[in-house]
Amino acid sequence: MRLILAIVLGKFIAYFTKLLKIGGGSAAPGLYALKICPSLVEQLSKHIPKNVVITGTNGKTTTAKMLAHFAESSGLKVIRNHTGSNLERGIASTLIANYQLLTTNYQLGIWELDEAAFNSVVPKLNPDVIVFLNIFRDQLDRYGEINTVLKNWQETLKKLPTETKIIINGDDANLLKLVAGFKGKVQKFGVKDFKIEGEDIVHKKEQRYLDFEAKNVKLDGLNSSNFYLQTTNYQLPTTLPLPGIYHIYDALAAFACASNLELPIHQFTNSLTHYKPAFGRVEKFDWGYIFLIKNPAGATQVFETIAPNIKSNDTLLLALNDNLADGTDVSWIWDAVFEKLLTPSLRAPAKQSQSRLPRRSAPRNDVIVSGSRAYDLAVRLKYAGFDPETITVESDLQNAFKQARGGLQGKLFILPTYTAMMELQSILTKTGVKKHYWEEK
Amino acid sequence: MHLTIGYLYGDLMNIYGDTGNIIALQKRAGWRGIAIEIKIKNQKSKIKKGECDLFFFGGGQDQAQELVAKDLGESGKGKVVKQEVERGVPLLAICGGYQLLGDYYQPFGLPSKDGKPHSGPKLHGNGLFPAYTLASHDRMIGNIVIESMFGKLVGFENHSGKTYLKKDAVPLGMVKKGWGNNGKDRTEGCIYKNAIGCYMHGSLLPKNPKLADWLLQKALEVKYGKEIKLTPLDDSLELKAHEMVVKKFG
Repeated sequence: MRLILAIVLGKFIAYFTKLLKIGGGSAAPGLYALKICPSLVEQLSKHIPKNVVITGTNGKTTTAKMLAHFAESSGLKVIRNHTGSNLERGIASTLIANYQLLTTNYQLGIWELDEAAFNSVVPKLNPDVIVFLNIFRDQLDRYGEINTVLKNWQETLKKLPTETKIIINGDDANLLKLVAGFKGKVQKFGVKDFKIEGEDIVHKKEQRYLDFEAKNVKLDGLNSSNFYLQTTNYQLPTTLPLPGIYHIYDALAAFACASNLELPIHQFTNSLTHYKPAFGRVEKFDWGYIFLIKNPAGATQVFETIAPNIKSNDTLLLALNDNLADGTDVSWIWDAVFEKLLTPSLRAPAKQSQSRLPRRSAPRNDVIVSGSRAYDLAVRLKYAGFDPETITVESDLQNAFKQARGGLQGKLFILPTYTAMMELQSILTKTGVKKHYWEEK
Repeated sequence: MHLTIGYLYGDLMNIYGDTGNIIALQKRAGWRGIAIEIKIKNQKSKIKKGECDLFFFGGGQDQAQELVAKDLGESGKGKVVKQEVERGVPLLAICGGYQLLGDYYQPFGLPSKDGKPHSGPKLHGNGLFPAYTLASHDRMIGNIVIESMFGKLVGFENHSGKTYLKKDAVPLGMVKKGWGNNGKDRTEGCIYKNAIGCYMHGSLLPKNPKLADWLLQKALEVKYGKEIKLTPLDDSLELKAHEMVVKKFG
């Protein structure tokens, strides 16, 4: 009875938030429904034959989307929290929205879970497969220290049935330690000759066994990467339409999951050619790109990926907010290696503030910083070696975007934190550049 | 001119962007033509007297903090750092670093028979700051603004340890917004000679350039034995970032 009441209330809230255009109904319906029926996720998710949980600091949304894309192209009906609302309320909202179809329609649930929500939600979902992507420092004001996150994960793992299939990033030493005590099956994925060290993915030759491995990696600028996907039985030449090593890990994770779900994995590579990135995760437009940045490791990987591709007439727009979902502590920007974003045309002239010489006339990139903590970001860039004279501060994101688009000669690289990215999505929608994100599939 | 910065346990004690303080010192010296060498002093490494002209000690994870507390005593580094501060060498310690340079840090440990909450073994500090810290269950998180001899200072605190200053200890400043040392007496941090300990991440120095320059100036004065006047820099961005925090949270 409570369950039905909760579902009705959830649906009611979802209807009104959409009607009033105050949101996509990805969190609020679940939040209130859970107050009425705390076991809602447990009761509804058991109608779905197979469930996969994806967690980790970076890459959850991309991995989930890639797996969903492949499962769907293999003919499965997939349900997932696809707007990135990765707390219990997000999952509850998705389940409520699809309630009528739940018992008959879906074959696979793909759930991305926030590092902390993982521990409370996994026992309720009782997933068949769990993927751990990586563990980096992220929003210490919210999640606490890495050791705390790992300790809690370990406790959760202990309570799982041994049939649960665990897939981990085998290049992450913290995750190897995490699963050491798990009695069931553990599979590892990784990139040959790469390894995660602290906050960085580094080039390193090392002998270790991986169940799913990317070999002969060749990166092709901002377009794609090429590699061989090696398993015990297959070696698949793969083109991933996303840049950077970090996305290869996401693709491997999706592939490893697919393999455990007994999907036709020899078609995985083919399905990737039609993959479209999740919003804000390397979103491409004819005028530029959006790369979400949200923690030191993820941001640094983005810098490494884009820096070689920034031309001297391109413009950068970086936006830093300090809302709850971004982390209220902006100290993390000092752990992100903005120095790696510094291309020659962004560098401050040698004798900075004391120089009386005429400024050199070489082409300079425009850098616009925005968001509620725009000045913090401007200071970070200055101390990373950027020329302060090329930095414009415009705290209002809409104005910053307008300004950036206005004088644009080359491409525009937008690097927003989470809530700035959401705000940007609505600006893009308002200005007719794209549809509402919750209308995206 | 050149300076050597001793970065205490830079491998273990570097969370919450504390490395930004090193970046700020390095850049602000560099812009004035002062060369900076950073020496990371990890476990088991030694510090010679006169080797470092300025010390920095950041925060770390709980586990790291135990290792560091032990090493600080055993390697003799704690003692040398204290002697160096006595002769005027400046130091900045944030959060965990600040706690470990007090008398002691008292964790909870297992519940004791007499019902006292703090029964774990004390992590002894080197007693540089006349202060001690007790573990608590309150997580003190948020933007912090204090009034100090450097004017207003802004940062972000994230700690559960509560630090209490002993009699005659001088706080770095008084809290305008936030918790500070213990959330009760409105004090934040501690200043002893040219050594400063506090809970302010942020990073602290980039947004508080006056404090960064004070540390550099003291380091140069002690090293070269004369009065130093630093060339002023264009700090307009830094000061705007500072003002923004004061306006939004102060």
